[in-house]
Amino acid sequence: MKGYRKYFSKKIVWFILTFIIAFLLNFALPRLMPADPVANIMNKTARGLSDASAVKAMYDNYVKEFGLDQPVIVQFFTYVKNAFRGDFGVSFTQYPRRVNDIISSAILWTIGLQFPAIIVGWILGNVLGALAAYIRKGFDKVLMPLSLFLSCVPAFGMAVILLGIFAVKLKVAPIAGGYGFDLIPNFSWAFIKSIFVHYQLPFWSIVIISIGGQAIGMRSMSIYELNADYVKYSRFLGIKDRKIVGYVFRNAMLPQVTGLALSIGTMVGGALVAEITFSYPGLGTTMLSAVTSSDYPVLSATTLIITIMVLIANFAIDIIYGFIDPRVKAAQFD
Amino acid sequence: MKNTIRQIFHSPKFLAGFSILAAMLLVLFIYPLFVTGNPLQMIGLSSFSKPGTYVSVYDAINTTPDIMKLPHADEKRLAAKLSDDDRIAMKEWLVAAGIPEADIDITDTDALLELWSDNYDPSAKPAGMTMAKRNYYKRLNANLEAALKGTEVVVSEEDPETGELNQIKFVKDTDYVNTKDVVNVINLPLGTDNFGRDVLKELVSATKTSIMIGLIAGTIATLIGLTTGLLAGYLGGWLDDLILFITNLFTVIPGFIMLILISYGIGQDKRGATTVAIVIGLTSWTWTTRSVRSQVISLRNRDHVNLSKLSGHSLARIIATDILPYIASYVVMAFILQISTAILAEAQLSMIGLGPKTSEVPTLGLMMNWAMLYSAHTHGYWWAYFPVLMVIALISFSLNLMNTGLDQVFNPTLRD
Amino acid sequence: MGKTILEVKDLTTKYITRFREDVYAVDHVSLSIEEGKSLGIAGESGCGKSTLALSLMGYYFPPLHYTSGDIIIDGRNISKMDPDDIRKNILGTEIAYIPQAAMNALNPTQKIIRFIEDVIHAHDPKMPKKDIHDLARKRFEELGLPSSVLDKHAVELSGGMKQRTVIAISTILSPKVLIADEPSSALDVTSQKMVIKMLRNLMEKGYIKSMIFITHELPLLYNVTDDIMVMYAGQIVEKGTAKEMVFNPTHPYSKGLMGSIIVPEEGTRDVKLAAIPGTPPNLKKPPSGCRFADRCKYATKECRLTSVDLKEFGEGRSYRCIIDIEKLREEYANE
Repeated sequence: MKGYRKYFSKKIVWFILTFIIAFLLNFALPRLMPADPVANIMNKTARGLSDASAVKAMYDNYVKEFGLDQPVIVQFFTYVKNAFRGDFGVSFTQYPRRVNDIISSAILWTIGLQFPAIIVGWILGNVLGALAAYIRKGFDKVLMPLSLFLSCVPAFGMAVILLGIFAVKLKVAPIAGGYGFDLIPNFSWAFIKSIFVHYQLPFWSIVIISIGGQAIGMRSMSIYELNADYVKYSRFLGIKDRKIVGYVFRNAMLPQVTGLALSIGTMVGGALVAEITFSYPGLGTTMLSAVTSSDYPVLSATTLIITIMVLIANFAIDIIYGFIDPRVKAAQFD
Repeated sequence: MKNTIRQIFHSPKFLAGFSILAAMLLVLFIYPLFVTGNPLQMIGLSSFSKPGTYVSVYDAINTTPDIMKLPHADEKRLAAKLSDDDRIAMKEWLVAAGIPEADIDITDTDALLELWSDNYDPSAKPAGMTMAKRNYYKRLNANLEAALKGTEVVVSEEDPETGELNQIKFVKDTDYVNTKDVVNVINLPLGTDNFGRDVLKELVSATKTSIMIGLIAGTIATLIGLTTGLLAGYLGGWLDDLILFITNLFTVIPGFIMLILISYGIGQDKRGATTVAIVIGLTSWTWTTRSVRSQVISLRNRDHVNLSKLSGHSLARIIATDILPYIASYVVMAFILQISTAILAEAQLSMIGLGPKTSEVPTLGLMMNWAMLYSAHTHGYWWAYFPVLMVIALISFSLNLMNTGLDQVFNPTLRD
Repeated sequence: MGKTILEVKDLTTKYITRFREDVYAVDHVSLSIEEGKSLGIAGESGCGKSTLALSLMGYYFPPLHYTSGDIIIDGRNISKMDPDDIRKNILGTEIAYIPQAAMNALNPTQKIIRFIEDVIHAHDPKMPKKDIHDLARKRFEELGLPSSVLDKHAVELSGGMKQRTVIAISTILSPKVLIADEPSSALDVTSQKMVIKMLRNLMEKGYIKSMIFITHELPLLYNVTDDIMVMYAGQIVEKGTAKEMVFNPTHPYSKGLMGSIIVPEEGTRDVKLAAIPGTPPNLKKPPSGCRFADRCKYATKECRLTSVDLKEFGEGRSYRCIIDIEKLREEYANE
């Protein structure tokens, strides 16, 4: 048990540390850049305004809103204080809607879409990769180039293609949104059905993309494990092939779990852009509209939330990994 | 070295990837030689023109025609004239007139017209049919008859003084002009985009820019990754701890988010393609650092390295002669992967509107962004986005294929 | 003379490479071991000794394929048996194997006891777990291994401990023949000694009836085995008792091989150390004459043209060379 405790406490310290740094970056990066964020916003919002004093008033108003007239350190503490209270300010473009309000509804859509899709894609990909490694001939030859190709199509690309085929051409799926335009969110049967129907294309486009990459990884891990010495040894002790395949796939899965932890950031990034294609009401679409309308508070809150989500996912995978791989425990005794 | 290269080119995967990439690069360099001009020039005033050859109608009328009588010309004309709604309406009438539904195939124009001319009776009043509907059928029938008769189109010119129309030309249904005789013809193999720009020309230019972005970003990421990986792996100690910490940090914090924050901070006006490439390179070096570091760690206590250390060679010399040659294959592989990730990163960044500025050069991401913004995907204007996607996928596919091939050569356990 | 436990007649096996070429790594090898005896097989790396070890078990996986010959264990010919039958009734129970790289021979994510359960259940699916645990604990303690090892994962064991655990697992079903492929080459001297002691212990207690010990470290063989066979390019070039082979090698290759080591025995201090020049032949296209001819300083033109069979001379001794024993002895004496 000592090994595990050491492992988990290490992971917790690491999690808190990364969290703090991610938080700092989120605050500092946009402020470190040469451009004046307010001028950036003014570019768009004040377009067409010819009255110089009105523009000036607007500018000052924004500076105040940001707290840019105060020293950086004060700005930072205000930011921290507000973030911990869950207060991200007021949206510029959807005034007077609060940022938390916009974000909190989007988070649910994003988690509801991405979490199951990434998990399902990961599982399917691993099963296919394992099969490819085990069966090899034929199956492997067809499946691998296909997986490689699929993993090369960006997530938004798969989204557009599925949309083109199923929504535009065959008209069997809705074109956009998370539910019917004509519906008001409630707990009725019709609404749930509408959510389900709208869910299919975004879900499968993320799944298909994750399958490709995972299958390739799992295949080479499995081939590597199939050549491992313990496989040969187990065979010569008379253990059945089926049992040995069980060892191999369990061992090949383990690095895939860490692989998931390492690539989850990238996957979420890709899936966010896929959301845009479907105008899915999640964080990706929120981010796009925040960028196009220069809604800085919304963008800043979105990036922070996504970072935190990815960090939590990573942390969770690390913890699970600690339990399933005995090597982790052993390594902590060194 | 020579042997390794021969071995690499014997790998079917590497060869396949290399051929795809080489063919694409060839097109990128050859195509602009034949089709010149600014890729961002807006030639169309209407958006999303379909792929095909466009002939100036005005010029075609003024071109001397040849007379031809093509088989099925009338049917084709009719088929083109009959909309799907018309066909369904015709079927309705025919069913009402007692033709079994199974016998009517609305996609077969000839058979449908034959049935129609046999069964249509303007005086008939099928039960439940409104007056308006009956009139619609009369108009439809008149149209069809007129089309079948084959009429001439009259071209007139307005007399500037009297305002009278003078017939100057008759275009018969048997008149054909050679597209070579028409002075204004444009070939748009991939149609035009929302701004009326030639998609193919734009695509070739965008691919070039995107590959350049990939190369710049890949080079920067590889250089940073190589330097940090070498320092961390070879020197070890606190420097290793620090670099490993930073690397782990940026593996966990999504690079995509960093990219968004930085790009947003830079601002639209200052974001050129090169700037975007540099930013991508600066946020995507962690993988290279990881793999270089672990390779160097396994190398640093090998005999030949120890020998060099004992012989008092300088750090630079040891790295250059005893370490670099051994990790070169990993670095090359990481570099290839960086290129394809960078191209993808640019595309994603552009999709959320944080790509390079739109006025200079097109990139693959910007083309996607435009197509999405103008809803090409929901309207079925596939030529505006599908070729772009295929190019992104093919570049990435060929690079990954090359990488898999290299991996099999350098790590023989993975061999089939 | 004791009962013959293992008899191998003209065994030939080959590798089929990726390019569909045949490589005969074991070429007409015959050998036999009696109850209570051990046989050492020596040779350079790549001479086919590890392949011989794998081939002896009659259980083949690509790229290794059976070609011809017989393997008779305790009167039962296994070379024509159905693979699943071999798996169930021969491997582990009749003939067992200790792999070359025992460091990685254990599944890293499985507890030792779980693996032992799997091994025993592969042959006796009905044996209750409790009995298996009792058997394993008893056997481990008897062999001087702490029974706490059973509840550990392979990664938690040291190298020497791992190797001894592997030996204990391989012999848990008391096989008649144990094939040990370089069981101690990766270990430090202390662990090496413990491994050898353990193998001897197994023989004495009767958990194994005979043993084949494969190594490139000849002094080890002299101390461990009764007989020694020298292999070169897939063929046996000489066999005899350990003492004869070390002090009186006949074949030029054996002579060279023995000459490249120091045997810790009186009066051997002034033996010159000599490496054998050259490299073994390519087994894709073995030479038609004597396979050692290219590296042999006594080779004549005839050597390269005619192939030689093993020639017996005296009690259990044979060698594969065209030159007469007397002439060879004379040459050696003149050096």
